[in-house]
Amino acid sequence: MIEAHNNQWLAALAVELRRCGVAPDLAHHVVHEVATHLRDSGEAASQVFGTPAAYAAAVADSLGPSTGIYQARRPTGQVRLAVRGVSKRYGRRSVLRNVDLTVRAGEIAAIVGANGCGKSTLLRICAGILSPDSGEVFIDGRIGYCPQEGGTYDFLLPDEHFVLVGAGRGMSRDQAVSDGRRQAGHLGWDARERVLARHLSGGTRQKLNLVMSSLGDPEILLLDEPYQGFDRGTYLDFWDQLWEWRNAGRAIVVVTHLLNHLDRVDTVLDLTPSAPVTGVGQRRAEP
Amino acid sequence: MTKLYTVAEMTGREIFRRRGVLVLLLTLPLAFYLARRTDHSGQAVRFVLLGVSWAVSVVALFAGSASRAIEPRLRLSGYRSHQLYLGRLAALWGIGAVLSVPYTLLVAVDQDAVRSGAVAVAMLLGVAVAAPLGLLLSAVLPRELEGTLALLIVIGLQMIIDPSATVARSLPFWSSREIATYAVDHVDSGYLERGVLHGLGFMIGLTVLVAVISTLRLRRRPHLRVMPIQ
Repeated sequence: MIEAHNNQWLAALAVELRRCGVAPDLAHHVVHEVATHLRDSGEAASQVFGTPAAYAAAVADSLGPSTGIYQARRPTGQVRLAVRGVSKRYGRRSVLRNVDLTVRAGEIAAIVGANGCGKSTLLRICAGILSPDSGEVFIDGRIGYCPQEGGTYDFLLPDEHFVLVGAGRGMSRDQAVSDGRRQAGHLGWDARERVLARHLSGGTRQKLNLVMSSLGDPEILLLDEPYQGFDRGTYLDFWDQLWEWRNAGRAIVVVTHLLNHLDRVDTVLDLTPSAPVTGVGQRRAEP
Repeated sequence: MTKLYTVAEMTGREIFRRRGVLVLLLTLPLAFYLARRTDHSGQAVRFVLLGVSWAVSVVALFAGSASRAIEPRLRLSGYRSHQLYLGRLAALWGIGAVLSVPYTLLVAVDQDAVRSGAVAVAMLLGVAVAAPLGLLLSAVLPRELEGTLALLIVIGLQMIIDPSATVARSLPFWSSREIATYAVDHVDSGYLERGVLHGLGFMIGLTVLVAVISTLRLRRRPHLRVMPIQ
């Protein structure tokens, strides 16, 4: 009885360690150590170590960021997105002032800042949905855009969203559905369920939103706080997915106000008006 | 063509799943018809024509409003503006044409001495005008409530203004009343011709307006340049 419980717990621990960014060989070692301890003591894992998620988080914290699989490196790919001197005002309020940003293939750029500082506005300008008052945006490649909210049809199924976006990308129906389901699986969501988008939970709807934006493998991904409503596990899966896309050579811009994962990005653009670097992309994670 | 067809298909699926709204809207022309059937059969025919047009307009309004937030991302996904609005229009025209069939048959079976062919033409013209009208309102009035109230004003005016008054011709569904007069009262073919011209004119004009607004709203802004970056 205890052995079965412990085996389940260990399997869950392995998943959580991966989500926490612990390198696979290190995670394997941790699981092996814990398994040995449990076998020797004959105790129930949950009584000794608590939940797998909490223990994995504690392990990851104790190991520190440098031991994770997320080794920052200076991107060397071609420039995919270049923002030059972008300014935008709403009435008398200036939200963006002479902003520059360069994002290369294989690079994650995070746009951070306080509420109302123009993060979403900048992303919409990058997508070409909104005009700036001045400045230019150069892109080299196709854009996938994930808006902060909306972006889905209430009365369509997830598969139908995949078909709709996939057709725009020139994908066949089967290809779009299988690709969409596969990407949903990476976020821990089984998209085969026939549930209308309006009946999906907020977090699952955001997963749909995110998958739609990356369907067809656009070279540039613009993600506007796509993790809203995600539980902790999915949030970590999301960053794993982002990292995979980055390693596959995509240029990613993600708007975020959560700063606890900035060690996983290559460039940080802080739009807070009082920030020391105004407008220019500031590299935080050097190799 | 695949893209246009996909937009039309998904618009159709999205509309058919709004079952409660659809049932209420689709029974509206019947209610209009039955309300005037016993005391004035000619008015019953005119009202069923307006009822079908109003129902299709509201469905188009809902479809347009639902798409408003999604269209920019669809543009970025590779769709052209015309594929989006033409696909949506194609679905709405198709649904309207299907809706017209039972009501045309109802009038043909239930009314004596009515020119059924003319009723069918008026019905189809009403649908042809109603779909772009609903989409246009959804483009200029972003909230469904505002759009629905605007449609109520249009249809209310259409019912109370004397169709022979000049101002009545500025209303989008004047054609159906003109053709209904031809169908019910057996007046000369001038009514039919004027009605068809008016209906076609409004259909083309409203469709062009939808095209212009959609193209402007979904245009790629000039600050965005697609090119290899040095």
